[in-house]
Amino acid sequence: MMQPVLEVRNVSKSFPGVKALDNVSFHINKGEVVGLIGENGAGKSSLLKVLNGIYQPDEGKVLVDGREIIITSPRHAFDSGIAMVFQEQSILPTLTVAENIFLGREEEFLRFGLISKSRMNAAAAEELKKVHLSTHPAMRCADLSFADRQMIEIAKALSLDSRIKTDVTILLDEPTSVLEQKEIELLFRIIGDLKQRASIVFISHRLEEVLEISDRVYVMRDGQIVQELAAKDATVKELHQHMVGRQLHHEYYREARQATPSAKTVLECVDLNRDGAFSNISFELHEGEVLGIAGVIGSGREDLARCLAGHTFPDGGNLLVNGTAVHFGAAYDATAKGVGLVPSERKVEGLVAPFSVAENMTLAALPKFVSGGIISFSAEKAVAADWVSRLKIKTPSTATSAGSLSGGNQQKVVLAKWRIAGVRVLILDHPTRGIDVGSKEDVYELVRDMTAEGLAVILLGDTLDEVIGLSNRILVMRDGEITARFEAPPGGKPTQVELVRHMV
Amino acid sequence: MKPVSVSNGNLLGHWRRWAPVVVLLALCILISLFNGNFLTFGNFIRLLNSAAIPIVLCMGATFIILMGSIDLSIEGVVALTAVIVSLLVINDISPYALSLWAVPIAVAVGGMMGLLNGVLHIKLKTPSFMTTLGVGFAGVGVATTILGGTTVRISDQTFRFLSLGRVLEIPMAVWIAAVAVAVAYVIQERTRLGRWLYAIGTDEMTARHAGIPIERTRILIFGIAGLFYGLGGVLAAAQFGQGHALISQGRLFTTITAVVVGGTALSGGVGSVINSVIGVFIVVVLANGLVLMGVEPYVQQGVQGLLIIAAVALALDRSRLDVVK
Amino acid sequence: MTQEQRTRLQTWLPLIVLAVLILIVGIYDPRFFSASNFLSVTADTMTLFLMASGVTLVIMMGGIDLSVQAVASMASCILAAYLQQLGFLAIPLAVLGGALAGFIGGLASTKFRIPSFIATLAVSGVVISAGNWFSQTRSVNIPGDLSATYLDWAIGEALGVPNEIWVGAAFLVIMSAVLGLTPFGRLVRGIGAQERAVIASGINVDRTKIAAFTLSGTMAGVAGVVMAARLGSGSPTLANEFLLPAIACIVVGGTAITGGVGSIWRTFVGALIVQVVRIGMTFMGVSVFAQQIVFGFILVAAVAVTMDRAKVLVIK
Repeated sequence: MMQPVLEVRNVSKSFPGVKALDNVSFHINKGEVVGLIGENGAGKSSLLKVLNGIYQPDEGKVLVDGREIIITSPRHAFDSGIAMVFQEQSILPTLTVAENIFLGREEEFLRFGLISKSRMNAAAAEELKKVHLSTHPAMRCADLSFADRQMIEIAKALSLDSRIKTDVTILLDEPTSVLEQKEIELLFRIIGDLKQRASIVFISHRLEEVLEISDRVYVMRDGQIVQELAAKDATVKELHQHMVGRQLHHEYYREARQATPSAKTVLECVDLNRDGAFSNISFELHEGEVLGIAGVIGSGREDLARCLAGHTFPDGGNLLVNGTAVHFGAAYDATAKGVGLVPSERKVEGLVAPFSVAENMTLAALPKFVSGGIISFSAEKAVAADWVSRLKIKTPSTATSAGSLSGGNQQKVVLAKWRIAGVRVLILDHPTRGIDVGSKEDVYELVRDMTAEGLAVILLGDTLDEVIGLSNRILVMRDGEITARFEAPPGGKPTQVELVRHMV
Repeated sequence: MKPVSVSNGNLLGHWRRWAPVVVLLALCILISLFNGNFLTFGNFIRLLNSAAIPIVLCMGATFIILMGSIDLSIEGVVALTAVIVSLLVINDISPYALSLWAVPIAVAVGGMMGLLNGVLHIKLKTPSFMTTLGVGFAGVGVATTILGGTTVRISDQTFRFLSLGRVLEIPMAVWIAAVAVAVAYVIQERTRLGRWLYAIGTDEMTARHAGIPIERTRILIFGIAGLFYGLGGVLAAAQFGQGHALISQGRLFTTITAVVVGGTALSGGVGSVINSVIGVFIVVVLANGLVLMGVEPYVQQGVQGLLIIAAVALALDRSRLDVVK
Repeated sequence: MTQEQRTRLQTWLPLIVLAVLILIVGIYDPRFFSASNFLSVTADTMTLFLMASGVTLVIMMGGIDLSVQAVASMASCILAAYLQQLGFLAIPLAVLGGALAGFIGGLASTKFRIPSFIATLAVSGVVISAGNWFSQTRSVNIPGDLSATYLDWAIGEALGVPNEIWVGAAFLVIMSAVLGLTPFGRLVRGIGAQERAVIASGINVDRTKIAAFTLSGTMAGVAGVVMAARLGSGSPTLANEFLLPAIACIVVGGTAITGGVGSIWRTFVGALIVQVVRIGMTFMGVSVFAQQIVFGFILVAAVAVTMDRAKVLVIK
């Protein structure tokens, strides 16, 4: 039996607070196209990063042609026969097409120490033929369309093929998300051609595509491979089932406390759009409501959240707070109108790590603690102590630096900050990312407390579970638009499969 | 979601790339309207001469700024190399008479100071503006110490020919500067180092993934820049016929102004040595124009300061919402 | 080294270094240990400290102000040029000039998104021209009687202590209070420590930054006035050679250029260290010029030690 061209055995990789890969085993044979699917955070990108040498596995082995190998860097991966096309483009705009394709590998074109542009351009033209691109290799990439640049990115990876004797594996991370239909068909033709010579790993959230192009499909969930199927026998519905599948714990999400929101609209979007991020966004948010937004990476929901909080600006449409049209020029405009954001990157945007718990808590409402130009430290300490006990934050004192608290307690400090600031709309961007189970439950309890007091919450949940369990209503986004709306009353919650259908 | 623009305002779009040339032409036209003397051959030679040394210095500075770093040591290197070259040719203090052999020695000293900049920056992992600030000050200090505060006068006429001599009516300094530009251009366009500069300045992570030796490249580029500054110091000594630390005063400012005004982005990855040549001419023409219009010389620096602010503000990349410190 | 180790080092090392340096110089020349000598050394240090105190705020915020030397010189020119006509009013006028320069620098580095070292470098060019204009490119003398009338508060004596020390101490107290007790001070620290989190908390960061730069320019103006009083004249190059020591005393005192950590009294200790090192080198016969070299390398070393590299992913 032929051994696999590329194999991963029992690989695990952890980061503080999260297990990205959990005992993953996966292989690909020569000339195969293997699809890799899963929700956000399922581990797909992490797996590719291990294969590409960006991450080193904590446990397990990687084997190329049956030989165990430790891949130290993407360049090393390339020299070992593995090339990756990134989701975020790595094409450098100020360099030419040829220079990008051969970046870091210019030695082969040197003549008397200088790069021979004619030889490099000729070689580039050869590679461009493989992706059916007729762009001149001496063109600067800044002058090319996004889609063309994606094709060049692919050509860059494919150039591996003509330079290496051993078998070649190409890793494609969401290659189609920026392409039009015509270009996607082209890409599939290219992959078809490639199958003769190379093996391909294909990640996409568009399941029909994955089934169309792959021989086998792996489904990942929570860092594990949960299913392996032959593509020709599988249906999209089956894939949905495998992708989700955790049980919903009604208690966990405090569904009993889910209240009916009032009819008062606190926030409204009418036809909001932002070039390259989202379009046609219209919805209403009511007092006491939790509005969940579900979507994969690239769906536009993170962009939308940040736009609502004033961090970025829409290109069109209207945003209304309490019935009045607003235009947020910066985050401080939003907070002035009572809209706050709990950001997904807690350590960078949520907290000032060297500041104490008290200092962090009052940061969004400093004027309230100032008298005669001086900060009133006693008032600050009192309020902070009050919230520490209310939210059960585990900290030696209010003067402890916030950076030394655990993730869950840090998040509680961030939430306290916005409560102290008195916001009426709080946008939660992945609020339970990287925190322990006990703290997660505390956060859910807090969300219920807030809505009970009339705050409105927009939730970008970490998992579908969370979005379904916590929300009164759910918007599903895909490729920048709202593709479905669900009511989610307790006892009448939509299933994960129903949501996933509109997400991918 | 399909991203929108083709070449987004992220980079110098087509019209922006030509802006420096347009500015230069506009300036020339404006000034010649004011004062006919601007368009004479004699003035033209004067302009070229004023531009020679700044152009040489800008070649080095451009490389460093393309990489996303900054070099505040220019004055220190120029001072030290000017003093050293002055002491190595026939002069009134030291016994050496190395004639033109002093030139490669002084240039090499410049290169070594550049390497020092690079090594300190990389090994100590300190930002380039700090390391070059320190090394620059140290350089001026060494230059002044060697001379003990006096000036050394050069009497070697062969050496002075490098700046004052004329070939085909054009001063030697200008020819040397032209060669410097050619060499810099070749380095920029045709060597791996030059191409890697752009990669590192645009996206260091991608450059690293592609296997580009980042640390080595950074150090080498600082060294190469030092070579150019050294050449600038030699030319300065040849021009003034003396060596002293003050010979370099004000040059940092002019160099940075020229690079920025010429269109090379401070954030790195965008621009070229040719841009900087245009930038030097903008600065030199403006200075020349101010003189022709009878404005006091001390206004120069003020104008340059405003120029820098205007140039950077106009090249403003609004889509890069990075934190600016 | 760990964060706690670094913090402890940053807090105590400068004081220890100062004590050791004083001992070394004193061993060389025991006259150094007299009270009158300490007073005069401290008085001499005050102009440097005043200039550096404002820059401390900017550096704590993660930026830098390279215009202070030019601003101080310009302030001295304004003072000398207008003292005759305006009397006491010339003093706030000079300081206001500094504040304006700082304000422009702050504006350039926020609204125009120009990195602060370039913005302040550019401003220094404008300021040098301005200084030259005020003084008509000459050094302007301050006659003794004018100085006695209007500038005695800066260079006279009170209770046996030189006034420079009183002035410096006053600003030390005021600036420390601003940094430690006001919301502005807290925001300066916060922006230096984690600017994005401060932005995300709904703070108008630009406004705070502009205020810090303005304060830096103001203090440079004050320093220029005191310098002019001491030297008896104002000139466009009066404060030349002060920029490097000013930055050195901030960093050597323990304030990290990565921002978020530091204090005004640290800058004061740093200024004393710089002054004692200078005196020591002079005693040992090191020429004034060579001292520059030493300071250059001290600067790099101090920055390397105090920098928080965890904060800076790509060092450019």
